[in-house]
Amino acid sequence: MHSMLERRKWEPYLWLLPSILLMTIFVIFPIFIVFKLSFSEISKAGVVGDFIGLGNFKAAVTDKAFGTVMTNTLLWVVSVVGISTFLGFIVAMVMNSPFRGRKIARSIIVFPWATSLVIQASIWNYIINFEYGNLNNVLLNLGVIKDAVNWRASYQIEFMWECGVGIFVTIPFVAFCVLAGLQSIDNTYYEAATVDGAGYWKKLTKVTLPLVRPALTVSTVLNIIYVFNSFPIIYTITKGAPANKTDTLVTYLYMLAFYDQQKGPATALSVIGFVLLCIVAGLYMMISMRKEEL
Amino acid sequence: MTMKSMTPAHIRKRNSWALYGAAVALAAILVLFSLPIYHFATDLYVKKSPNTFVGDEKYVKTRADVEAIAETYQNQKELGNVTVLEDVTQRVNSKGETTSLITFRVSATVDKNAWDFIASGLPNGRLLLFCVLALGASVLLLLLSLPGTFALIPQKLSRRNMAMRNAACALMLIALVLVPVFHFYTVSVFQRQMIDALTREPTPRLTSLLAATDALLYGGQAGDTAGALVAGLTYQTTAAFWLLLPSMFGLLVAFILLSRESLSHTLTRGLLYLFVIALCVVILYPYYVMLITAFRNNAETTDMYFTNIFPTKWIWSNITDIVNRGVPRFLLNSLLLSGGATLIALGCGIPAAYAMARMNFRGKKVFLGFVIMSQMFAPIVLLVGISQLMNVLNLNDSIIGLMLINAAFNQAFAIWLLRGTFISISPEMEQAARIDGCSTGKALIHVLLPMAAPGIVTTLIFVFINAWNEYTISTVLISTPFKKPITVGITQFSSFNMIEWQYLFASALLATIPVVILFMFIEKHLVAGLTSGGVKG
Repeated sequence: MHSMLERRKWEPYLWLLPSILLMTIFVIFPIFIVFKLSFSEISKAGVVGDFIGLGNFKAAVTDKAFGTVMTNTLLWVVSVVGISTFLGFIVAMVMNSPFRGRKIARSIIVFPWATSLVIQASIWNYIINFEYGNLNNVLLNLGVIKDAVNWRASYQIEFMWECGVGIFVTIPFVAFCVLAGLQSIDNTYYEAATVDGAGYWKKLTKVTLPLVRPALTVSTVLNIIYVFNSFPIIYTITKGAPANKTDTLVTYLYMLAFYDQQKGPATALSVIGFVLLCIVAGLYMMISMRKEEL
Repeated sequence: MTMKSMTPAHIRKRNSWALYGAAVALAAILVLFSLPIYHFATDLYVKKSPNTFVGDEKYVKTRADVEAIAETYQNQKELGNVTVLEDVTQRVNSKGETTSLITFRVSATVDKNAWDFIASGLPNGRLLLFCVLALGASVLLLLLSLPGTFALIPQKLSRRNMAMRNAACALMLIALVLVPVFHFYTVSVFQRQMIDALTREPTPRLTSLLAATDALLYGGQAGDTAGALVAGLTYQTTAAFWLLLPSMFGLLVAFILLSRESLSHTLTRGLLYLFVIALCVVILYPYYVMLITAFRNNAETTDMYFTNIFPTKWIWSNITDIVNRGVPRFLLNSLLLSGGATLIALGCGIPAAYAMARMNFRGKKVFLGFVIMSQMFAPIVLLVGISQLMNVLNLNDSIIGLMLINAAFNQAFAIWLLRGTFISISPEMEQAARIDGCSTGKALIHVLLPMAAPGIVTTLIFVFINAWNEYTISTVLISTPFKKPITVGITQFSSFNMIEWQYLFASALLATIPVVILFMFIEKHLVAGLTSGGVKG
């Protein structure tokens, strides 16, 4: 019987072929091109010249905006991923407990996930406008403030808004990943803990947290990647202005490549970003995997 | 104290304390209602003195004039306390002498308590009246439900008494909510609607509002100048008002104790609902802004002092305007792009996921690593490489190019979700089909795919939405206006010097509604997909 079901050795690869082809052409090739370009001289018109070693990297790193951009990227990733994971976890805990209207609430919570980031960012751009923004309008109408507040008074505050929008759109993803983890927890664990006399906090830290850790790991790793690569929020709200003070790596390299026509340094930044991302995501995965084994 | 340890004696004791508490809270509320809850001050008359010194002849004369005017106000009108205030501004004149400019203000201050508001006929007075009625009704219901049952365990109460106590709790909650609503509404009435009364065409509603305010603050004698007086009003909420909230909350807690077994359970539930409601409000807020802005006219979108919750007039022509400016074409492009990307992603992803779920082969882990690594790169980081590649393939500025890229970058998630779905389905049916002589392909199409339909639809919608919402690659690769997808197309309404918000948001609305509805469909399956696909591994 078994021999009838045995497949030819090359068959699995045939099944994988379309997918591999698609990804090789449109993901791997561009990666190679970017790596190659980062070591080549590129003219303003885009003509690829000779191998110049680390020239592009040197140009990118010594640019005076580089320090600000890297600090911003770090702030952006840490604050958005950290805060949205924390809040998303709370949202998931609430959504996992039974209450009336839970289905509706869950449908509403996916809204930010389903909306294009450009649209979401455009709306917030309008909301926080000083002269006619809806936030001032609503707060004035409610009598919370007496005069219009300038919500974009400085670039630091603008950057905080961008992080806020980033958190806002990231929460649903975390919440749903954690929710998936929570729903796979067998109720008997909680019953056993109740029998042992564990209170709410004990159950949370000794039962829930260890059991949703795989889900949290997956959502955090994916979020680090998504948030690091997130472009439309910052591009729509400030475009990195003033003078790259609110740029993250991806918006900076976009401006560099397509506005300033400096494709060489831009590709060098791509490579730096990729290496950083690999290191961070790899480290995080290794650490959380190890914890799981212990 | 847990529920089990509560004996009837405990409950009797607790309930008697709750009743004492309720009586105290009720007395406090009545007292607080009679204390002034708002403090108003208005300038009735302002006069600036000529350059002078405090205490000299000109000063004395002006002061006397102003005091005479103050006296007429004091005599003629019931304006509470009329006082004369002076602000001194020092100046140095051309000769180098310091002189003072003195501003005299005849100011009236008046304190109003809750009963004044109720009697005023102002809309916010009616709110307080409702509050008092709800409070009274809830106390009455509670009293009716008390006799003979006071000492009993709440669960043993008769149905009728239980219902009365529950209704008392609900009414008390309404009364509690009405107090902050009253505060915000009062502020809104005085701060904004009175300014409107001065600056806009007076409507009958505003005129009657003004008359009622005049009656409350100036005894109805300010007449035509009432609007100006109210517009210059400053006001403070007194401590008595803020003490009302905890007192009413105390009363509510006492009521809950009398009708329910466990207070902490009730409060936790309340907090839970509060959290969920607040969350939903925050999440829906940008969508509300998008909706109302899409249907306002241009002037209203840039008016900070706009007081209505919805557009004054729903401008449906915004939609016809954007239809004439190419939006249907953008939507069609998005549909083609996302549809094509979805087909390609699933066409390549289903066989791959099938192989990953059902077959064992060398290099399976390598492929999995490859898939995960492709997640690492978002198109934005590779844009330079992608645009070069597209030049080589002659797919620059083409929707087909966009389709392929979107499909490729969604492969990882598609394979992940599909693999999870396939694993969760037992392979027995396919094996049976293959023993009956089906080829692997036929077994997949006729047996597995129908069973995996929910997971496949979820993946399909997920990829579709990702492609629909994609912005970055499209903005770089597409330069011909009529080939732009909607996410890029909407940016035509915002330029550096002017943003046509109503058109921007009308198109954004059209782009958002379909995907949000689609996403709501798969929301339930997405959790299942995430569970079986990745999280459990």
